[in-house]
Amino acid sequence: MSALQSFMLVVDHDKEEAKRIAEGIAQDVETKKATLIDTVQSLGEYINDEDPILRGKAISYLTAIIKAFSPKYLSRQQIQVLTTFFCDRIEDGGAVDGLQALQGLDRFNKFLATQVAQAIFSNFQDLQSRSQTQRFHVYQLLNDLMSNHRGAMRDMGEISLLGIVDIMTGEKDPRNLMIVFSILKVVMVEWDISSHVETLFDSVYNYFPITFRPPPNDPYGITAQDLKGRLQECISSTRHFAPHAIPALLDKLDSTSPNVKKDALSTLIACIHSYDPDTVSKYSITIWEVLKFEILNAQEEFLSENSLEALQAITQRLSEGVTEVSQELPLAKFLQPITKECNEQLQEPQNKKAKPAQSILSCVAAASPVSFILVVQTVVAPIFTLYQEADGIVKQRALLETLNVLFEAATTVFGQWTTRGGEAAIENPLLEFKDQFSDLFGQALMGAAKEEVSFRVTALKGFLRLSTLRNFFQENEIGLFVQYLDEILLKEESVGRNDLKKEAIAALAEISKHKPRLIVDITFPAFVATLPEEDEGSDALYLPTLETLAQISVERDIFETLFRRLFSKLSILLQKEQPGSVAYPRAILATLLYVMQQRNMEQDQSVDLYFDRVVVGLCRDVAAAAAGKAKNRILNDPTVLDTLGRLCNLLVRSVSIQKQEKVAENVYSLFSEDFVPIPFTQTTSADQERTIIVSTYLLAGLSKDCSDKIPHTNPDMSALLLDLVHRSVSSTEPATHQAYLRHLALLVNKFLSKQDVTIAEKLFDSLLQSRDTESQSLSPATIRTIFWLSKALILRIAPTTTHIITSLLALLSSQDQQTSATAAQGFSIILGEDDILSATNGATIRLLCRQRLFTTVIPLISSRIREVNIAGTDDSTAAPKSPDHIKPSHLTALAGILSTIPTALVMPELPTLLPLLLQSLDLQTADSVAVRTATLDTLAVIIRDNGVVVIDQCGHVQSLVTRLLKTTATNVGPGAVNSPRLRADALKCLNLLAKYQVPGAAANARVPPGISPLLPVKNQVLRSLRAVLDDPKRDVRKAAVDARAAWLRGVDDAPEEEE
Amino acid sequence: MAEIQNSNPTIINAADLPTRLRPTATRKSEYGGIFTSALPLAPVDFESALSSDSEDDNLMEEPIDEQEIYDLISSISDPEHPISLGELAVVSLPDIAIKPTLPDVLDSPLQTVTVLITPTITHCSLATVIGLGVRVRLEQSLPSRFRMDVRIKEGTHSTGDEVNKQLADKERVAAALENGALMGVIAKMMETCH
Repeated sequence: MSALQSFMLVVDHDKEEAKRIAEGIAQDVETKKATLIDTVQSLGEYINDEDPILRGKAISYLTAIIKAFSPKYLSRQQIQVLTTFFCDRIEDGGAVDGLQALQGLDRFNKFLATQVAQAIFSNFQDLQSRSQTQRFHVYQLLNDLMSNHRGAMRDMGEISLLGIVDIMTGEKDPRNLMIVFSILKVVMVEWDISSHVETLFDSVYNYFPITFRPPPNDPYGITAQDLKGRLQECISSTRHFAPHAIPALLDKLDSTSPNVKKDALSTLIACIHSYDPDTVSKYSITIWEVLKFEILNAQEEFLSENSLEALQAITQRLSEGVTEVSQELPLAKFLQPITKECNEQLQEPQNKKAKPAQSILSCVAAASPVSFILVVQTVVAPIFTLYQEADGIVKQRALLETLNVLFEAATTVFGQWTTRGGEAAIENPLLEFKDQFSDLFGQALMGAAKEEVSFRVTALKGFLRLSTLRNFFQENEIGLFVQYLDEILLKEESVGRNDLKKEAIAALAEISKHKPRLIVDITFPAFVATLPEEDEGSDALYLPTLETLAQISVERDIFETLFRRLFSKLSILLQKEQPGSVAYPRAILATLLYVMQQRNMEQDQSVDLYFDRVVVGLCRDVAAAAAGKAKNRILNDPTVLDTLGRLCNLLVRSVSIQKQEKVAENVYSLFSEDFVPIPFTQTTSADQERTIIVSTYLLAGLSKDCSDKIPHTNPDMSALLLDLVHRSVSSTEPATHQAYLRHLALLVNKFLSKQDVTIAEKLFDSLLQSRDTESQSLSPATIRTIFWLSKALILRIAPTTTHIITSLLALLSSQDQQTSATAAQGFSIILGEDDILSATNGATIRLLCRQRLFTTVIPLISSRIREVNIAGTDDSTAAPKSPDHIKPSHLTALAGILSTIPTALVMPELPTLLPLLLQSLDLQTADSVAVRTATLDTLAVIIRDNGVVVIDQCGHVQSLVTRLLKTTATNVGPGAVNSPRLRADALKCLNLLAKYQVPGAAANARVPPGISPLLPVKNQVLRSLRAVLDDPKRDVRKAAVDARAAWLRGVDDAPEEEE
Repeated sequence: MAEIQNSNPTIINAADLPTRLRPTATRKSEYGGIFTSALPLAPVDFESALSSDSEDDNLMEEPIDEQEIYDLISSISDPEHPISLGELAVVSLPDIAIKPTLPDVLDSPLQTVTVLITPTITHCSLATVIGLGVRVRLEQSLPSRFRMDVRIKEGTHSTGDEVNKQLADKERVAAALENGALMGVIAKMMETCH
């Protein structure tokens, strides 16, 4: 059997084998064992066969051999012969592929390309009746010719143009169209199309709008958007299309389908960007006439946005190269009807159409400096006139808003003071009106009645825009505005929701970025002058002032001034015999803290100065105060120490490691030589012990690398830790106690080396053993110490983590009610956020610690509760009945953990968890309110993230809904309490149930297909909620209204009809 | 959709609509201001936020008032524009009244809510639909001891009496609510209620 015959036998079912055969022959020819002529001649008996399939296979054989040749093997002459051979039989299968292989060869020339193209055009008149694959191959061949032999194709002129259009006409397959569109685009751009514009345009525009929807599973990997993109490129490819494209696209805006309109608009925008300015100009006014309607009578937001984009694009194109303003410009002619229309609409500026008119002005004004000038020339003067004649403040306000829109456009065109580079060459036309603006806005802001808050806010925003606009106001003019703002903040009473003051603060903060000097020179003296020497005990009037100062002092220069002024206030206070309330020094410290938190202190060059003054200086003062050597007791106050501690913590984190090592050495001695540090001191006063608060914050800010500089840590920490445990168990003052707990946890979690962890684990065990042998009880202080120690160990996933968790759970089953309840509350500590043991402070928080705790605890709590439930119902006294407090304690512990865990972790355990949550809702007494609140929070998140489905899958919809409804009731019987917060939360959950019947669905989403799992309880819910509508509390009623509306609207038996 | 009847109505700025002012910072003694973010008060671990809403607060009753009715209906959108009835001044706070239904019977819980509607133009054929929308919203949102009285404000509509008759006629209201197309319009109007 010849190679040809074997090839034809296998080609259908074994492509690899066929390829191997062809490669063999190719090699034989290349090594001269056979000749190409013989090979071609061997086809003889098949290529004239009646059966097209046989003919196709024979041709494929030749194609396969050609493909297998090395690229340089075939001579020019051979290529020529083969090309002619294939062209003659181009309709037979495989020939197109052969040509495709040939045209990729270096020796394939221009003449041959023309020949192939001719063959395609004359033989494939019936292309559309062939299969998709065949058509695809032909298009691919054409596409390759277009990219490899573009010159030849172009030289064919209208033959190739019409030929291509002819064979593709009627193409419907999206895969083929993707190629066809890209071939056509080349023709449109590079061929001389002047005599065939319409033919070419129609060949693509026929496909507009694209309505293709990818079939399920998307077998082609082509989206409607891909097709739309290619089609859009064709339509916008050449300005010659404009007379056809633009009227046709504008016509499409009459369509009732928003999607068609959207496509038409985006294609129109592409045309505007691509056609030349002269062409755009020719149609600009026609386009405006049509788009005007879309914007002024907006049906859909996105259509009006796209229309505005189109207008802006036209304005930009018409502004290209224009440097001189003149009314004869095409741009000016285009803008005339626009500004005229807008001016008309703005006659009644509080009417509905005024807003879109403002948007139009804004988008054309912001397009270029020249367009901005043209708009300002025609619009500003009439607004002034209208303003003077306006019959009410509502109208005046709407006019101010229009001006604000122009100011915003000015900012886009001319930039702000802080904008770098790109200054416009043309002078800002608003400068002509500068004094008028200043008067008008100043008058509106300061002269209007105090109750006209929204009017004054509008004026304030306009003034702010002008003040930040580059090269507009002089310093003194902005200064005037700053004075107005100061006056509003310092002298005026609050009105309503205090909006004006909030805006005033925001404005000062904004100005501080552009003109910090003005704030330092004008605002600071005015504000600081109102700060009292001391808090005289009346209303804390200094608080709003400090808050304002804090918000405007983020800029570096201003912050330095703030620090100096406030620090000197504080120093004076510390020297006074009668310093008044400690709230004042505390507020001063809080102000500094707030601003430092907003700033990047590590980058601040003055950080060392702040460090010396606050960390070193004030800590010494704290030590002195603790030793009773201070003039007053400000620095003995725990809340002041806490705030100071936070400030120190932030600064310690921001300084160099050398400074941190100094802090480590002084963490207990507080930079004082005569102060007796706490650890191991036998007799300590309460004042002295309180310094542990500051010490703890200092310690928290240190890098781990400072471990060995901390006092009392050599050879290991055991003595120090034991001392701290004793102190935290025995301390009585809450603030000191809290600080000891955190200090201990910090050492164990962050500074204790890996090999020394056993020290802490032993401490944990010894604390557990310290329980009273008879009552099994532990003191609350001891329990807290145990939990903080556990927190430190669990966060770093110490080796005995599982042992620790089970020991903690065992505390819940204590016979002593007090022990059990206190321990239950402790579980929220373990993973709870803490300002000291935090990631910011470099605490060791392993990624998996949450998961570890949760997956260990859930099964244990679940089985323990089951035991208790069974023992409760079991009449036989075989099992000793456990005390009543055990179940609530476990549920409290669970709620504590859940509140500190992301729901993603919770979901896999939902089937175990849900029954426990439902039992939590069954608790009724007042002391279970916190547990129930936490449970409802968890449920809300579960429902929001995962929808009703997950609850339905566990089969708990009915029981959940019943319990939620019970929680919404006001009178539930003796001893039972549903607080307003609980009732509102339960209603929120009900609301979420109706809203999220599909996971992740947004509000107002369509009802899912099929019957909602909520349907069986719909009537029950609606009936119960009717009663809740009469709840005595307004917030609860509001929640009930919303929940009821969601159920009425969202829970339906029949899926809505598809549109 | 029919031709828009009033394509350019006057709009009240959202900031100027009547709202309920919450008593801000009830506890003056503590920070209500910006420092709360910087400064959580001294940490409390145990005895957690048990008494967050105190007993006194819980017992104080907040009866349903005009502002509450206003909040229920002002966010309904107009069937013609995607703008709320409040912004269009179709409903306004002074035009809402709550009175005892039986002033002579002491302790009667029955109350009547009267809402007067001001159409944006005097010949607005959608006045009935708006009235119906307001009615439905109130019926869904108020307890059963409330009676609704929704009417067109006197002198603001050319066929006000006719519309009022329809709105007051229980049979006709019930029949209208059976009409699927009408309910579709009303449901769309209420989508914006929040």
